[in-house]
Amino acid sequence: MFRFLFPGSSDNADHQSVFDLKRLCSLTLLGALVAVVPVTHAGDTPITDDALVYFIWPKDGAVIKGGKVWVRFGLRNAGIAPAGIDRENTGHHHLLIDTELPPLDEEIPADRNHIHFGKGQSEARIELGPGKHTLQLLFADHLHVPHNPVVKSKQITITVP
Amino acid sequence: MTASLRKLLSASWLCTAAISLAAVLATATTVQADDRSSAPADAVVYIGWPNDGEVINRRKFRVWFGLRNMGVVPAGTAFRDAGHHHLLIDTDLPEADEEIPADKHHRHFGAGQTEAVIELEPGVHTLQLLMGDHNHVPHNPPVVSKKITITVK
Repeated sequence: MFRFLFPGSSDNADHQSVFDLKRLCSLTLLGALVAVVPVTHAGDTPITDDALVYFIWPKDGAVIKGGKVWVRFGLRNAGIAPAGIDRENTGHHHLLIDTELPPLDEEIPADRNHIHFGKGQSEARIELGPGKHTLQLLFADHLHVPHNPVVKSKQITITVP
Repeated sequence: MTASLRKLLSASWLCTAAISLAAVLATATTVQADDRSSAPADAVVYIGWPNDGEVINRRKFRVWFGLRNMGVVPAGTAFRDAGHHHLLIDTDLPEADEEIPADKHHRHFGAGQTEAVIELEPGVHTLQLLMGDHNHVPHNPPVVSKKITITVK
């Protein structure tokens, strides 16, 4: 450290530049963090204002005998791209079963209540036990983070007798 | 060497040459087929709406694309077991190993759409869906829907 305080000699010049490089790196890293954090925080992948996801099937209030159903995902004014593929005005479907919306500025969890369709699927076969269940679609970007604005369907309720 | 033996040898040479040529041709054909993107054997594309035989009382209507056991990816991006929809209107299937034409009879949905609003003149029309890969070439095996007939009033 002492040397850095006396950068006049040619011997110290290299150390000075190394020090500067370190500081530059730290600043760049800090800058990168500052730049990245708000993007992650905001879930900011843009999508057209009129993008819409909805259930083609089942309908709200449907009674599904046996509990096995092909859920068909409707999408308007936007396109599907598999997870990991960053293309303008696209995303992939997530089906929320018996759960409320997750935080909308974070990656959607992947568990039995949050099913990801990262291969670009537009429908899925699911099986539910007897009782009332809620279903909701949430569209998200290549990193599984919801878009800005958020594209989500109405939460519907179905009954398995 | 007797003349008959010579004849036999030359015939067998010709035979070998013919077989080799056939093999080369077969390989060429196979290579061409392999150039196409593969699709899962159980992939199904279908027209969710309208139904076959549907009579529609408006010129502008929404067509819903159904796809099972396969995914959607926009044109230009290669992705395993995925592709994008093409709607064939009033036409037969194009060549299986070539880029699907883009005209009023072959509508491309390269932005990854899964439904579309189309407008047709009154009359009887046919609709058929055909999946294409990132280069708009049908898959191997081709993923194609039933051709349906509708009437627009």
